[in-house]
Amino acid sequence: MEKNVIITGSNRGIGKAILKKFAKEGCNIWACARSPKKEFEDELKEIADKNGVWIEPIYFDLTSSESIKTGFKQIWASKKKIDVLVNNAGIAFIDLFQLTPEQKIRETFEVNVFSVMTLTQLVLKMMTRQHSGAIVNMASIGGIDAYPAHCAYGASKAAVIGFTKALSSEMAQWGIRVNAVAPGATETDMIVSFENKSGGNLLKNCAMKRKAKPEEIANTVYFLSSDEAAFINGQVIRVDGGST
Amino acid sequence: MTNLEKYTNAFVEAFDVDAETAKTLKYQAIEAWDSVGHMGLTAALESAFDIMMEPEDIIDLSSFEKGKEILSTKYGVEF
Repeated sequence: MEKNVIITGSNRGIGKAILKKFAKEGCNIWACARSPKKEFEDELKEIADKNGVWIEPIYFDLTSSESIKTGFKQIWASKKKIDVLVNNAGIAFIDLFQLTPEQKIRETFEVNVFSVMTLTQLVLKMMTRQHSGAIVNMASIGGIDAYPAHCAYGASKAAVIGFTKALSSEMAQWGIRVNAVAPGATETDMIVSFENKSGGNLLKNCAMKRKAKPEEIANTVYFLSSDEAAFINGQVIRVDGGST
Repeated sequence: MTNLEKYTNAFVEAFDVDAETAKTLKYQAIEAWDSVGHMGLTAALESAFDIMMEPEDIIDLSSFEKGKEILSTKYGVEF
């Protein structure tokens, strides 16, 4: 599909896999990241050239709504249609609740929830005009199931799920679909903090007894954003190898 | 087209009313100007004047006249 897509947190992990998947499928991309890096921009150029698409880096800090607005204005100024928004960026704070400073809870919600709402509100300005669009939010099985040391992270991802469902019911009248993907343990840098706190039990409840590859998460995100999923709305798709 | 004409047209198109009626409108005074219609109106205004309205201003846009005030004071639209 040849669409214009915004992807946050596109410089590493699942976000980078999502970026590569959409580029491979012929999509143009606004690749959002926190700060400029030559290595990142070189890689974007390489991916764009390889797939015959354009990829424009957009930089903003997800802890600042002003920074998000400033970044979005670059996209707005391009006057291009926005077909897909992938709210992928997020942070993990994993520790027992009684060892979780309030500041860490606020920071987790700022990035995982409030920045998603801020950027989505801006993007909807365009999508409502178009009367079309697909939004895919990155949730987590930690936002559905109960895990120790997940109070801040799990609660933030539960909020993302609630937001996804409520927004999907609001935006359907404009032809805009909103869904979420809930990955299980995935082979990324972020998983290290989960592993360190899980005492080696990270895959205990996973039927397939392995971590997801970032590409497997990316494939689901791509599917939900595509016309193949045209009648899927307000759903949270687990990509976790099955839970036991 | 003057800015006032562009502004009025946004109301005309959003609510399917004539220009004279548009100038008297207040939020929820007609069936078409409900919360969904309000989103359509702000989209039309943003498109007409190439602006991005803040959520607070969208909430404050409670009438035809109030909208003119918001656009002129906060977004530099001259009427």
